[in-house]
Amino acid sequence: MRIVHYLNQFFGGIGGEEHAGHRPEVRPGPVGPGMALKAALGGTAEIVATVICGDSWFNENLEEAKATVLGLIRQHEPDLVVAGPAFNAGRYGMACGAVAQVVTEQLGIPVVTGMYPENPGVEVYRRYAWVVETGNSAAAMRTAIPAMAAIVKRLAAGLEPEPGTYLERGLRVNTFAAERGSARAVEMLVRKLKGEPFTTEYPMPSFDRVPPNPPVKDLSKAKIALVTSGGIVPKGNPDHIESSSASKYGKYYLGDVDDLTAETHQTAHGGYDPTYANADADRVLPVDVMRELEREGVIGKLHDYWYATVGNGTSVANARAYARAIAEDLKKYEVDAVILTST
Amino acid sequence: MDMENQRRVKELAEKYPKEDLVVILGGAEAEASGLAAETVSNGDPAWAGPLAGVQLGLKAYHIFEPEIKEQVDPAVYEEQVSLMEMVLDVDAIVQEVRSIREQYAAW
Repeated sequence: MRIVHYLNQFFGGIGGEEHAGHRPEVRPGPVGPGMALKAALGGTAEIVATVICGDSWFNENLEEAKATVLGLIRQHEPDLVVAGPAFNAGRYGMACGAVAQVVTEQLGIPVVTGMYPENPGVEVYRRYAWVVETGNSAAAMRTAIPAMAAIVKRLAAGLEPEPGTYLERGLRVNTFAAERGSARAVEMLVRKLKGEPFTTEYPMPSFDRVPPNPPVKDLSKAKIALVTSGGIVPKGNPDHIESSSASKYGKYYLGDVDDLTAETHQTAHGGYDPTYANADADRVLPVDVMRELEREGVIGKLHDYWYATVGNGTSVANARAYARAIAEDLKKYEVDAVILTST
Repeated sequence: MDMENQRRVKELAEKYPKEDLVVILGGAEAEASGLAAETVSNGDPAWAGPLAGVQLGLKAYHIFEPEIKEQVDPAVYEEQVSLMEMVLDVDAIVQEVRSIREQYAAW
């Protein structure tokens, strides 16, 4: 089996961050971690060439980079491509992922890589590669290489890698079962009620737990802000927040607004029927009620800005980044509490 | 260990007899110190630098280790090292570096 290995400028031995603009090149045989991989593979497969590209250059010239790297890989006629491991290096992980995508789509051969589970490359590209879970730094090379080599060996032998030896790829595969779904579900439920072990057929995503903030001591003196993932924006959606997989959030002045109307505001959200939100956006972002509470003295003040994004399909990592930026801004304005509304 | 230091160690090891060389480390915690010790003995564990796949077998000691400490003028050690000796996890660092040395040093 012929392997082409993809590395960034650091592992390719060219240099650190100061060489991240290095353009793609190809060298014969294994380089850097490829030498360790070669040792781990024994005679199973041969690393015929190594493609090296700077992380910044790859990500800043994505389309050109994908095409160029693919061309360099293709000329060595590999049966399999190995990329990385990238550990928790974000740009390197994204580059390895993009290589996996273009190799899968254009050459139709398997790609093996290794990443720390929180590397953004996992979330974006896991369906295109067998991604071995690694530690978060290059100190984990000694465990990453044998794990990647094990998967390469399985693939070389014409076998599927064993579940659990790679990060879930998010691919759904149809299979035939002897019992229909309802019978299997009841069987699982009965086992669960009896306290017996059972294996789910559809693992639920795991969510992190966020400890609650301390309570607001005196609401009548508190400055309250409105933040929404329901997509409420000024009419015309001036920042062009996407209706799905939002790439940004907006911050809008509220100081002179008492009520959101169909003439002044709308939703940018594409994940629910917008009719009622567009008719009266207070249904999602309750400015009218907040103004009443402000006049009645129930709350101290409504913050002069609201913040909005579209939660529809937006990645957890992006949502977290927007939240961090919004929270920084809220702290700057000394906001005491936030009402988060969704849809 | 960064690439520049790997290159320097490699050059020195080519210039002088390896059994006469000792690498003295000043890393602030055990893992980093151990990785540096491994780099100069068994090769760069990250397989990225000039010592990737190069087993120099050099002995590496941390400045905290008694074998080295005894060689240093106590007044100089007091002035240059003792403050860090108080705040860092000396036992963990010494144990890690020693363990790497016992596994990989050739001399």
